[in-house]
Parts: sequence; C-alpha cells; structure tokens
Amino acid sequence: MSATDPSQYDVPERPVRRSLARQVLPYAMLSPAVLVTLAIVFLPMIQTAWMSLHEYVLFRPKEFDFIGLENFRAVLGDEVFWISLRHTLIWIGITVPAQLLLGLVTALLLNQSFPWRPLARALIIIPWALPSVVIALMWAWIYDSNYGVMNDFLLRLGLIQRSMPWLADPDTALGAIMLTLTWQGFPFFAVMILAGLQAIPKSYYEAASIDGASTWRQFRHITLPGISGVLVTAVLLRVIWVANSFDVIFVMTGGGPGYATYTLPLYAFIKARTNLDFGYGSALAVTFTILLMIIVVIYLRRTGKALR
Amino acid sequence: MKTTVRLGLSASLLALAASAASAESTVRFWYHFDNADNPMDALIAAFEEANPDITIEAENVPWNSYYDTLYTSIVGGNAPDAAMVKMFAQPRLLEMGALEPLGERIDAWDGKADMLDNLLDLTRGDDGENYYLPVQYVALYLYYRADMFDELGLSVPTTCDEFRDVAKALTRDTNGDGQMDVYGFGFRGGKGGHDHWASFTLGRDGVSLVDGMDSEAALEGTQFVVDLFREDGVFPPSAPNDGFQEIIGAFKAGTTAMTIHHIGSANGMVEALGDKVSAAPVPECGGGHWTAFGDESTAVFSTAEDKDAAWKWISFLSTAGNNTMFNEATGQLPVTKTDSAKWSLHPERFVTATMESLPFANLLPNRSETSDFVNTVWPVAMQRALTGEITAAEMNAEIAELFGQ
Repeated sequence: MSATDPSQYDVPERPVRRSLARQVLPYAMLSPAVLVTLAIVFLPMIQTAWMSLHEYVLFRPKEFDFIGLENFRAVLGDEVFWISLRHTLIWIGITVPAQLLLGLVTALLLNQSFPWRPLARALIIIPWALPSVVIALMWAWIYDSNYGVMNDFLLRLGLIQRSMPWLADPDTALGAIMLTLTWQGFPFFAVMILAGLQAIPKSYYEAASIDGASTWRQFRHITLPGISGVLVTAVLLRVIWVANSFDVIFVMTGGGPGYATYTLPLYAFIKARTNLDFGYGSALAVTFTILLMIIVVIYLRRTGKALR
Repeated sequence: MKTTVRLGLSASLLALAASAASAESTVRFWYHFDNADNPMDALIAAFEEANPDITIEAENVPWNSYYDTLYTSIVGGNAPDAAMVKMFAQPRLLEMGALEPLGERIDAWDGKADMLDNLLDLTRGDDGENYYLPVQYVALYLYYRADMFDELGLSVPTTCDEFRDVAKALTRDTNGDGQMDVYGFGFRGGKGGHDHWASFTLGRDGVSLVDGMDSEAALEGTQFVVDLFREDGVFPPSAPNDGFQEIIGAFKAGTTAMTIHHIGSANGMVEALGDKVSAAPVPECGGGHWTAFGDESTAVFSTAEDKDAAWKWISFLSTAGNNTMFNEATGQLPVTKTDSAKWSLHPERFVTATMESLPFANLLPNRSETSDFVNTVWPVAMQRALTGEITAAEMNAEIAELFGQ
C-alpha cells in the first residue's frame, strides 16, 4: 500500500456530499426542461396512442369505448389512407432531394467571391424566413388561373396554349405545391451547406490543384466529404419537417381537389379537427409516426455506415 | 348605538357583496363577421350602459375554423357563454349536451311578438324545444350581370335548361386572343359550395339529402352540374377549388356572369359593378325549386356561468333597433318586424330577390351527419366528380351512404 493511497485515510463527509451533489446537480438542472418536454410532448403522445385504441368522436364526449386495434384495421382498409400515403411518399421523395440540390447549387455559388455576395446571402434566406401561410397565399395567387403570373408567363413564352388551373387540376396540384415547398425550403440547405463549405480548409484545394485534380474531382473528393456530416443532419431534419408539414397544403388547397393533395398528416388533421373523429385521427397519426420512424432509422443506419 | 353600527356595517357589507357578485357577471360571446369595421363595440357599449352589472367579452372567431374551434372549446371545458350558431350545428351541439333550452325565456320575452313569423319554428330543435334565438337570415339567389344579358339579348333563366343555354352563351372570348375571358357561372366547388349544387339537385322530384339520393332524379341533378363544367365549360377552370372569396372576386372582376350567393354580398357587388349587377331567384330544376335558407341564431351554452346575463345579451341583439345595427355589419337581413319594415341598407332588387326566394328556401336536414356533409363529404366528392375521378352516380352514392340510405 503506497503512502498516497487515499483509502488509508478516513474519508471525511464533505467529498461524499460533493460527489452526491455532482450526481444530483445535473439532473436538478435538467429537470425543468425534461418536465416541460414530458408535459407538452410525451404526455400528448401517450394520450394520442391511448385515444387511437378507442372509439372517440368529439361530439359524443361521453362515449369513449375501448376497441383495441380496430381503428388500425380500419386504417389499413381505408382507400384514402393509401392515397394519402402514396402522396406523402411522393411529397418527401421529391421535395427533399429537390431542396437539397437547389440548396447545394446555391451554396456553391454563394461560396464564390463576387462583389455583392453579402447581399445575396441575406436575400437568399427570405423564403425560409417568411411564414408558411404567407407563402401559401402568395403562391396560390401565382398559380391562379385567371390572374396568376405563372400562367401569364408561360402563355407569353408559348409553353402553354391556355391558362392552366394549376391547383384545381388533380394532375398538377400536388406538383405545384411541391414546387412551392421546394422554394420555401431550399435556403435552409443553402445556409447549412454554406457553413459546411466554409469549414473546409483552403489548403486542401490548393494541394489538390497542385496535384492536378480537376474541379469535378476536387468537388467529389474534397467538397462532398467535407459537407457530408452537414448533409446527413440537414436531410434528416428536412425529411421530418417536410413529412409533417401540411400548413402550406392546407392553405393552398385544403387537400383538394378531391384527395389530390391529401398527405397523411393532413388526413389525420382533417379527421380529428374537422370530422372530430379523434380516435381514428389518432390512429392515423400513430401509424404515420411509426412509418416515419422506420424511414428515419433506415436512413440513419445507411448514412451512418456510409460516413464511417 | 353599537348594534346600529354593527347593523349598518353588515348591511353595507351585504350590499357590497351583492354588487360585487353582480358586477362580476361576464358574458363571453363568440361571433363571426367578415366585415372588418364591425359595430360589435357599439352594441356592447349600448348593452353595458343599459346593464351596468354585466360585462360582455366578444370575440370574433374566423369563419373557416369557427365550428372546429367551438366544438373543441366545448369538449375542452372552455366554451363561451353564448355564441352565434347555425342550424346545421344544432344536432351536434345537442348531442354534446351543450345547449341551454330557451323556450321559457323566449315565451317571457317582450321581443317575441316582434320576431318575423316562422323563424322560431324553423330554428326549433327536433324535440320541439327552442335552443336558438334567430338574429339574422338570408336566402340564396342568383346574381347576374344585367349588362351582359342585355348585350347578348338574353333573359334571366327560370329553369335549369334555360340556365344551361344562357351560361353557354355568356361564356366567351371577348378580346379575340383565344382565351376565355368570361365564364357563364361562378361555381363554388370548395367548402361551402353545397348550396350551389343543392339548387340544381335537391329541388328535383323526390330528392332530399336524407332520401332519394340514389334516384334517377338526383343523378340528373349532379350530372347537370358535372356536365356544365366538363362538357360545356361554363365554369372557370379553377371551379373545383373555388371558395367564397374566389366566386365573389371573379364576379366582381367580370370573369363570371352569374353566381349564387345571398344579400350579404350585395353592397360589395354594387360598389364594384353599380347597376350592372342584378338578382333573381335560382332556376327551377327538374320541376322543383330549392334554395338555401341561410340562418343565423344565437344560443346560450349549458356551461354558461350566468345564463340570465347571457340571455339578456343575446335577446338584446335580436331586439328591434339593435338588430338593425347588427345586420348592418353582416349585411344580412333583420329578424324583427319593426326593423324589416324600415330596412333600407340594400338596394331593393336584392331584397325582392330574397323575398321571392323565401317560399322555396330550405335548411339542410337537422341531422348529425350534416356537418360532415358540409365540411368534407360534399367538397371532396364534388371536386372528384368535377375532375372526373368519380362519376356523378358515385358522388350521390357517397352522400346516400353518409345519411344511411
């Protein structure tokens, strides 16, 4: 036993108290945030899951009958659920990559030096900074078949022969809204990627050009690996946000014409809020959450492997 | 001496308590006005002056989510004490046990005799009790561009067949650029447009929402609407999504030559178009006549803290004079005989069109399913039928299924 062995001394009370404090303090400091999160996120989540197992129609508040998985069985047999699911997949599958590509191009442009770069950087953020409802109303007017600039522009270019009711035609409505959302969301990618680009040391590019690497190879082997971490996070966040966002759809078409722009969150919202069928609406929301979680887990696993 | 002081003290305390109790009476009232410069403040000031012990907290709730918000607030235990309500919501509100019966109060009320005939009967619940106190009303009629009719030598359509011919004639390219500039009829394919469809469908022999929706006559009605859009092209291409703002805006801008709405938009139309706009009852279709009676009442909720105060407030709104002030804001018609006799807010042709429409004006069925019909089933089915995703027969079948036929 060496002279410095602490066990040879009687451990006084104070360090015990200090270590106890060290153990308790983080929890004490975290608890307000945790409690608030529990109250406003987890409690409603559990409540939703519980409601989804009941027949609960809001205008018959006294009837709250447990029906097990009946709502989920009904969901699987519901034509509108499958239509909405298909639209949700198209919605995520096209909007997020489109935003990513546009954001990437914008970020690469903004990373070049040109005289009014600070101004351009400030302007690019505008679509992202505008409230969704404003964007939805603005684009609804752009698409308007009588007064909209979109029709006017395309007619003048000779690309269409007569005004198109972009939002009233089931073949174009979803695409039109996806274009709107792409416009709204690309600045987020642009800003995130720009931050990633600026973290890549200039010396890498200098070394690469001395070695004779082409611009493409520099992009492929320096730029892309340099921003991959940012991309993974940004895509993950955007997939979740885009999947859940229905405010723009709700304002622009309300899901119409027919079911042409129904997505799952919108369908769940309409079922619960308009039809007041909270049991079925909750079942839709729970189903969607599970599906989204599966997508997120697969995505994280695959990108995790790729990043390693 | 001591006793006197004590007595005096307790008496004044009692008086204080009493006044405090009555001064605490607050009535939370929900309403929906499209009109930005609404006179609710003036009405409240007049009421509070007459009833210093009652405070009114009035809240203008946006129309688009009015009933969603109302139902949710009732279930959440935060319902207002009184609110503006329509008949289609009554079955649901009754099912929720949210309404306070008003029959006794109405019987004892001075203003009852001044109510327009029939209104209290029309707004009665299924059980014969009155839960609603009417506050304004309208009937839907046809707005048309008198100048365009004159220009083309057309007369106002009185039947569906005439309507179709007129609408086709009015749909034209006025400047020769190959684009349609005017469409015959501004159809409301979005939420709230069921009244347009109903005028062409529900007047037909043996057809109502709760019975006969699977009949040949009902099919003719829906098919008529679908054909107007798909075959004849007399609605603007945006019709499947169009709501109130779009149909009124298009009519004012001269993009459409006819549309269906009520007197509430008459003054705005006259402001934009002057004498070029006129009105007539909707056409008769398939041998019958149907237009929507636009009702609006007030109700006291069963959870109201001070029901007497809430009743005082809503009956104040339906009393002669006050009712005029109320309707000046909404642009609809007063429910009292006194105010109706003196009514001068609208040009006469629109009042006449309303009066001529009253004999065949109807309410939607007093059923719980009506809310779903109005909010989701009709708009979705109509939009799908207009865009060709389903047939007119399939649309009618969806409605029949909803009402359990």
